[in-house]
Amino acid sequence: MAKKRERLDIIKDILYSIRNNRNIKPTRLLYSSNLSPQMFKDYINELIAKGFISLEIDKDEKKTFSLTQKGNNFLEEYRVIERFVENFGL
Amino acid sequence: MPLYDYSYNLIAENLELFRFFYSMLIAFICLVVVVKTDRLFKISAHQGIRYFRNAFFFYGVAFVLRYCLTDIPYFFLVRAVFQFFMIMAGFFLLYSLLWKKFETNEKNKSSFFNPVIFLFYLITIIIILLDYLWNVYTFMFLSQILLFGLASIISCINYKKNGEKHKFLGLYFVIMILSFFAWFLNFVFGNYLGWQLKWLANIYALNTIVFLVFLYEVIKLTRKQD
Repeated sequence: MAKKRERLDIIKDILYSIRNNRNIKPTRLLYSSNLSPQMFKDYINELIAKGFISLEIDKDEKKTFSLTQKGNNFLEEYRVIERFVENFGL
Repeated sequence: MPLYDYSYNLIAENLELFRFFYSMLIAFICLVVVVKTDRLFKISAHQGIRYFRNAFFFYGVAFVLRYCLTDIPYFFLVRAVFQFFMIMAGFFLLYSLLWKKFETNEKNKSSFFNPVIFLFYLITIIIILLDYLWNVYTFMFLSQILLFGLASIISCINYKKNGEKHKFLGLYFVIMILSFFAWFLNFVFGNYLGWQLKWLANIYALNTIVFLVFLYEVIKLTRKQD
């Protein structure tokens, strides 16, 4: 059985999806995140509140997500956090 | 050994200064660890990092208070607060290894006010009261022996599982064993043999090594990779 993804891994996966597909649409991001709609909504709200991603709405009311500078910084720090957690067994 | 004798005499002649430097060194190490891990926690909201940070915050406060434990007014009160921070630090460190079994990382709960931590507060207060009633440190020593015994077992399991990939897990296991041994020595000398300077200096040295290893690894692992 595949190991359940940890919270930090889910955040990393969402941020990587947004970085790799600039201005990604919510539906496509939901599919790529592999989360339930409710969990996806919770994570997205948290990431917006933290300032990691931003939601943009164009004049045709189309919504897209993009990565902020803070989100980019997080991805850079992610490896450091991952190594720390693994090495201390946290 | 002339160097050993020289060091021993130096400590004996400057005991107060030695105690001051020892307490401040450990408190400073804890401060650095807290600052470094707090940054990681703020980025990741990882509960394990949060409890690890709390442990070193509590150790830092405990070591500052420890220096104040001389003939001062309200000694019993300072001693109780010192014991509170010292015992809770041990609980936080152990819980940083165990938290995944009791809570999820989905909700950003308080790390000071949640059911498990309340249970730790309760146990800590009972230990402080027992030590106060008997005017000993025995119950605190026994609680820490138990905590670090458990932490040694958990870190051994972690090492066996992932030690090949993550080298520090082996050293973590060793420093948990050293901490267990240091508390055991505290228990033996505090209860049966009396505090002799020679042994006290060895326990101080053991504690300093443990904290320095933590500091080294925290600095190494929190450094950004190129």
